[in-house]
Amino acid sequence: MIQHRIECVDIGSEFCPCHLAETNDCLICSHLQGKEFCDCNWRGVCVYQEYVWNGNKSKNLRSEIVCKIEEKIEYKSNLTILKIKTSRTLSRQLKEPGAYVFLRDIRLPHYYDVPMSIMDADDMNGYIYIAYQTIGAKTKMLKKLNNEVLVRGPFWNGLIGIKYIKSTRNKNCLILARGIAQAPTLAVIRKLNRNGCNLKVILDKGKIDEIFLSKYLKNFKVNYTETDLMKNEGKLLINNILAEKKYDLIYIGGSNLLQKHILKILEKNNCISKLVITNNEKFCCGEGICGSCTTFTQNGELIKTCKTQMDVKKTVERRNMLG
Amino acid sequence: MAKIVVIGGGWSGCAAAVIAKKAGGDVILIEKTDMLLGLGNVGGIMRNNGRYTATEENIYLGGQELFNITDKAARHVNVNFPGHKHATLYDVTKVEPMVRRLLKEIGIEILLQKRVIDVEMDNKSIKSVVLSDDTTISGDIFIETTGSTGPMGNCLKYGNGCSMCILRCPSFGPRISVSKRAGVEDILGQRGDESYGAFSGSCKLNKESLSEEIREKLNKEGVVILPIPKEDINFDKLDLKVCQQYALKDFAENIILLDTGHAKLMTPYYPLEKLRKIKGLENARYEDPYSGGKGNSIRYLSIAPRNNAMKVIGIDNLLCAGEKSGLFVGHTEAIVTGSLAGHNSVRLSLGMPLLELPRNLAIGDLIAYANEQIRTKEGLKKRYTFAGSEYFERMKEKDLYTVDKIEIRRRVQRLDLLNIYEEKLL
Repeated sequence: MIQHRIECVDIGSEFCPCHLAETNDCLICSHLQGKEFCDCNWRGVCVYQEYVWNGNKSKNLRSEIVCKIEEKIEYKSNLTILKIKTSRTLSRQLKEPGAYVFLRDIRLPHYYDVPMSIMDADDMNGYIYIAYQTIGAKTKMLKKLNNEVLVRGPFWNGLIGIKYIKSTRNKNCLILARGIAQAPTLAVIRKLNRNGCNLKVILDKGKIDEIFLSKYLKNFKVNYTETDLMKNEGKLLINNILAEKKYDLIYIGGSNLLQKHILKILEKNNCISKLVITNNEKFCCGEGICGSCTTFTQNGELIKTCKTQMDVKKTVERRNMLG
Repeated sequence: MAKIVVIGGGWSGCAAAVIAKKAGGDVILIEKTDMLLGLGNVGGIMRNNGRYTATEENIYLGGQELFNITDKAARHVNVNFPGHKHATLYDVTKVEPMVRRLLKEIGIEILLQKRVIDVEMDNKSIKSVVLSDDTTISGDIFIETTGSTGPMGNCLKYGNGCSMCILRCPSFGPRISVSKRAGVEDILGQRGDESYGAFSGSCKLNKESLSEEIREKLNKEGVVILPIPKEDINFDKLDLKVCQQYALKDFAENIILLDTGHAKLMTPYYPLEKLRKIKGLENARYEDPYSGGKGNSIRYLSIAPRNNAMKVIGIDNLLCAGEKSGLFVGHTEAIVTGSLAGHNSVRLSLGMPLLELPRNLAIGDLIAYANEQIRTKEGLKKRYTFAGSEYFERMKEKDLYTVDKIEIRRRVQRLDLLNIYEEKLL
């Protein structure tokens, strides 16, 4: 019976085993799901061993720290880029593709926590860069930040398919990003670039009406094309690109709608590349506790998307199922 | 040609592969670590007590290759130690490359460091096995010899924790149960107190760390017996052991060392501090399992229900052997069950009736007897081996035990089974 093999992004980190182990809700370890025998999707670490060695207790949750906002750039259409001073350790931990933190005004209660992708991290000097779009209640309150912000992290599950980014070397990769999803795309480009991959990058202004990534791309050996991915011109461009060359990995940064749209184009082109997408679920705690990101796979498994890595096609299939 | 896929490269997997190949199968063997033989890399005791009879039976049945290797790699022949006669001790540091060479020479495809993690089913047949790198290997017949030891979580929950045993789960990942993935529930062995699993029976000391006197004696005679200080004698420990043939009073009152290249210490674990109190062991250190002073591997947590032809009940094209097929102990038991499974895999692919070894051969009787016993509550607490404990007594009672090679040949011949494993069926 092929089971859907899910992976926990925190396994092996200093945050594993987490609170889910204590309540027999671990995503990976069958013992810590209350079962009698070992039957895990081995990730190179025995979570049960770690748990017993930690005195049958979970390790600490992520802590909150007050950080100084060093710079704030506001663009015309609700786009803001923050440069935040953190510790060197935290910025190093946030350098990975898919990393995110929660931000909140120090004067507000915890439910104003808003998850934000890391656009860039400077681990030599201890800075993180975050680009966000003002949309709803939480992000509107960020606008009112003074010089300080509460940062809670590091979290890592901002992308689905992270292992492909880490393992792809010297291959052709296609990077597609629209709107505010340009932000998490920078770390992806950096990693693939360092792995010797040949990158074809297509950026789309989207609703924020700004290719803000261009400034940061100057440091890399990549050129980018600009187009509207949701329109016919974008579709034609992707068709042409796929006809020209084979791509080992395709990254789609953007809304569920965009991801579904692009996957359809890929399917029509019989494209079998490895897929990486942005994780668009809504997180509140990031620790697998609050349940805001909980969802089901098509075969009925409960998934906590703030920690779970799974097959991209299954993720999108599920969304199709929901309409 | 029938494609036979063997999952697990221990003694039973290797035996299954060799015999399936001889019967004409196209054989691929998948092993998760970087070495073949599994626990065969730490064992070493052959031909003691009834294992002698079983070894010769298997040779006359036509499965001589692996026994020829263990005989050739022997450091000591005809050794006696408490409760055991005419043992052969093979050199654990030499035997694995010899077996690997043999398998390659006869054309078996070996995949090392490939972990099987799942199966793809077609109704009640296995279509293919899925590897951890998401590739699949399809086949006509599958033989599971993944054993029953570990994984780490079980070693910790039911024992003293991972001992970094020869299976090296932390590096290569734990065993999984292929039969369970295919939809068949595992049978679990128990200890006397009805907790699940059992400790492995021995660990190994680095020979260079022992006194010169002990080293010399080991090299010369193969056995050294050292009394344990009275205050440290622990009879309870005997209950923990999987190897009931060694759960004798002598093994609680003495340190018994056997020379298998390293110094094999016949106890599931022994705190180093206590060990070093014994004369000659002042500087002792463990070889593998590296944490023999504390941790230990746990066995018998994953046995597949099977018939006496080694086919797994409930799955059309899966056979099993070795510890996966019963509460067996030892290399000989692994090789003889593996040989039968290998031979039957080709028969199964051809739709031929499967071979069951008659109960007037020791091998046939062990396979059938263990299968009967495993269905009883008491039977789950026992271990089955030609080398001792209850089954060796039975062998003697039934007059199955003999060291007379001519007599053993006569028995096999009378049953018309001489060299049956040599027959090319395809």
